[in-house]
This record gives sequence, C-alpha cells and structure tokens, in this order.
Amino acid sequence: MATSLRLYLTCIRNTLEAALCLQNFPCQEVERHNKPEVEMKTSPELLLNSILICRNEAEKCLIETSINSMRISLKVKQADELENILTKKFLRFLSMRAEAFQVLRRKPVQGYDISFLITNFHCEEMQKRKLIDFIVQFMEDIEKEISELKMSVNTRGRLVATEFLKQFI
Amino acid sequence: MACFDRVSPALREILLKLYRAEKPSEIDHHFYEFGSVEYHVQSSAADPQHNYLSISTPLLSQGALLSYGLSSYTMKMVKQVCSDAVEIVEPAKEGYQLTLKLNFAKVPRGKDSEKVITQISSVQAVILSSQLKEMLRNVNSQDTPQGMNKPIKLVYHPREPFYIIRQPQKITAVFPIRFREHSDVIIATAFFQELMDVGSSEKWAKAPPCTWSPIPPPELRGEPLEDLSTNGGFVSFDISLCHVEGKKLDKTVWSLLNFYAYVKKHVKCTRGFIQRRMQKRLESLVEVLHEEKLEENGNVKRVKAHAESRYGGKMIRLSKPKNFKRRCRDLTRKIMQIRFRIKIHGFRHFRRRWLTIPKFSSPLGYNKLE
Repeated sequence: MATSLRLYLTCIRNTLEAALCLQNFPCQEVERHNKPEVEMKTSPELLLNSILICRNEAEKCLIETSINSMRISLKVKQADELENILTKKFLRFLSMRAEAFQVLRRKPVQGYDISFLITNFHCEEMQKRKLIDFIVQFMEDIEKEISELKMSVNTRGRLVATEFLKQFI
Repeated sequence: MACFDRVSPALREILLKLYRAEKPSEIDHHFYEFGSVEYHVQSSAADPQHNYLSISTPLLSQGALLSYGLSSYTMKMVKQVCSDAVEIVEPAKEGYQLTLKLNFAKVPRGKDSEKVITQISSVQAVILSSQLKEMLRNVNSQDTPQGMNKPIKLVYHPREPFYIIRQPQKITAVFPIRFREHSDVIIATAFFQELMDVGSSEKWAKAPPCTWSPIPPPELRGEPLEDLSTNGGFVSFDISLCHVEGKKLDKTVWSLLNFYAYVKKHVKCTRGFIQRRMQKRLESLVEVLHEEKLEENGNVKRVKAHAESRYGGKMIRLSKPKNFKRRCRDLTRKIMQIRFRIKIHGFRHFRRRWLTIPKFSSPLGYNKLE
C-alpha cells in the first residue's frame, strides 16, 4: 500500500474511533420517534463539528457526527474518463444494493461518490471496531477494484484489437 | 447490420431440412434477420426439385441515393459462389432483389451437400461485400476518374454510414463512431487507443495502419455537419494494395463491413464483464460485513454459555487457588476452636462484632446495590 494511502486511512480510522461514540437519543421534535440527527439536523446542539480529511483534491472523506448517528461520505479518485465511469458504475451498483450493507446510504451526499450512515443501533448490533475496520477495508477495496477493473478493460481491449487485426494478415 | 458469421443459420437449417426431407412438402417461409434482411423460401409438393429462395437486403448505397437492383458484378459473384444447383431467376419476385431457383437434385450427395447448402446460405454476405470488394479491387488502377478523391459515403445502415476515400496507392476507410451512452463511448475510445497501439507495433506492420481522432480527418472536409458530428470520434484504416491481393480481399472487405458490429460487440461484452465483476465484488464485500456479524454472534453465544456454566448450580468445580483458600479457612477455624477452650457466653458475638477486620471491596469488583 502506498504511504500516502496508509496515512490517509490511518487518519480516517483514528478519527472514526474518536467520533464513533453514539448513544440512543429520541427525537426532540416528534414523540416516540428515533431519527438520525445527522440527517434531520433539527437541533444544532445535538450535532458535532464535521471533519474533512483530504488525501488530495480528488480524494476526500467527510465525517459528520451527531449524538445518535454518524455520516461518512467518500470521494474516490478518478484520474481519467475510464476511471470516472468505472467508479460511477461501481458505486451506483453498490448504492442500489444498499440493503445488503445496512450502513450504506442509497444516495451519496452532494459532492461525494458514496455515503455511509451509522446509527447507534448499528453500533449496538455490530462491534464498533469491526464497523471501523469495514469502512477502512471498503475504502481500500474500492481503490484496488477500480484500478483492477481499468486494467482488465484495457487488457480486453488489447486482446480484441489483436484479434481484429489478425483478420487482415 | 453485418454479422460476424457469413452464413445465415436460420436459412441453412431450413434448406438442410428441405434437402433431407423424405417426402416433398409445401413450404412457404418468410423470415427476417437483423431487422432488415428478408428471406422467402418457397417449395411446392408438386415440384419438389425446384425450390425458390428470394432475398431482400439493404444495399450499399452512396449517401442518400438508394440503389435497389443488384449490379452486374454482384450477380457475377453470386453465380460464382453458388454451384450448378442454383439458378438466378430474372426478374426477381416482387419485393425482393434476388430470387434463386434451387435444384436439390443437382446438389452432390454426402458431406459435400452440407458445404453447398452452407454456401447458398451465405448469399446475403456475398451481396453485401461485393460492392465494397469492387471498390477495393480498383485500389491501384490508374484509370481513376477525375474527382474520385472526394469521399464516398457508404450506407448499409442509416445510423452507421462510413466513408471511402480513394487516394494514390491506398484507400482510406473512415468510420464515424456514435454511441447513445457516454459510458459506451469511453469503453470504445479505450479500445480504439489499444487498436492504434497494437497496430503501430512492429509485429502488426502488415496490418492496415489504424488511426483514431476525436475530430474528423482532413479528407472529410466539406461533408455535411450532421455526418461529422460524432461523440466517439473517427477511426480510419489505410488499405493498401497488399491488403486486397488474392484471398486477402475477401477478408479485408468482411472485416471492414463488420467493424461497427465488432466495436459494438466489444462494448457490450465489456459492459457485461464489468457487471459480472461488480457482482462478484459485492458478494465479497458483503461477506466481510456478515462475517463480522457472525463472529459477534458467536462471541455473544460463547459468553452466554460461560455464564450458564457459572451459574448453572449443578456442576461447580472451583479453581485451585479457591480450593486452597477454602482449606486454609477450615484449618484456621479448627485452630481457633482448639485455642478457645474456655467458652464465655456472648464472647463469640462480641468478637465478631468488634474484633474482626473490616473487609474492603475490590475496585475491580461490583457491589450489589440495595
């Protein structure tokens, strides 16, 4: 793993460890309702300062925290047009199947490619450490997958081009 | 429009069935291929030896001028391909460009019969390629008429026109590339770049040089704007004399005719590949999360099991230090009993109340709240 990526991921991990201390908190507006405050933003006193971690201009991570929920939004590197469509396709594919992940948001926050929403119930259901591991692993895997996909598409293209030119010889 | 396979599989199957049929039967088949190629196979029980095959296909047209009839060169090519068993009926049936009379009695028996029928089934490919073949054959001809350097727009399919530009010693085929979806354009562009890279390598020096550019090549200057507005750029192949010599002519023509189909198939397959790969990745990513959940559930179960064994009641097995402590306590009690032989009434209560050292609870332990 590249040093810059390792540092970026370590920074995100440490921030998540510090920020992921959620507790059950019923909605202050509606009786007998329990809503993620980071989404509703009804009471400013329940929101914490958001943290933006940037690896470079194209890669960043926004961590927004509230008393009972946390939202993590990621922007993935897209060096060229091919990476751009592959990233969009892949992240859209994952977002459409968000129910499989439980913590994945169906629609990313504006300006980001993918968002996660972790509530206190997720923390109760799953271990905090494991959740953080999953987020970091996900980020690592996405980057690896996009670069592998790009390479595969180019390799396929080369093979097909070779087969096409073979017809002339 | 064009397909990689020259032989029409449906037509081949019908003709083989007709040929192998023991009893003559009435057949009147109409079927379409690629939406615009129409076949009509007719056979009567009264005259089983004579069957009719009519074909209607969009022809290679130059721009807006739609040619309907077949050229003499095309007819010659059709005659060459088909054996004695086939006779061209003139004029062709109404609505069709070509009608062939098939005499199955003249088809040789055995393995050759299949070969001949396969050849007849590829008649549409012959019609398609004959016109381009004629152009490419004249690559090096000196009797090029004036104004032939002007690009010729060839249309097999209204959405897929391409240009042929005759130049000294070579012919340039230019394919404007259009796709509906942006993602397809990107995949196709990546393919064209690879095509250029591979073509420019020494190993493929014999292949026609290929170039891709996002803007129209200078040879197409003056063409209508709607023809030059593309989203996938322009792919050009320089066909020289060595690519159209002998048997190579047929291959070159077929490759050029199939170029659009080839690119489209590659884009479609790549999209499928990406989808499959994403599906696989999704499974592995979800697995990580589920593993964590399972592990956690396992931990909870283990803790529960431990708790049950501790507080179950029946099987209490104490650890070694606890046993030792208990024994020590018993011994101390016995010594005390020996030392205090004189029993004073109420002293025992007094000792418990005032002479015992108070017990301090451990900071790590829990105190039961009342």
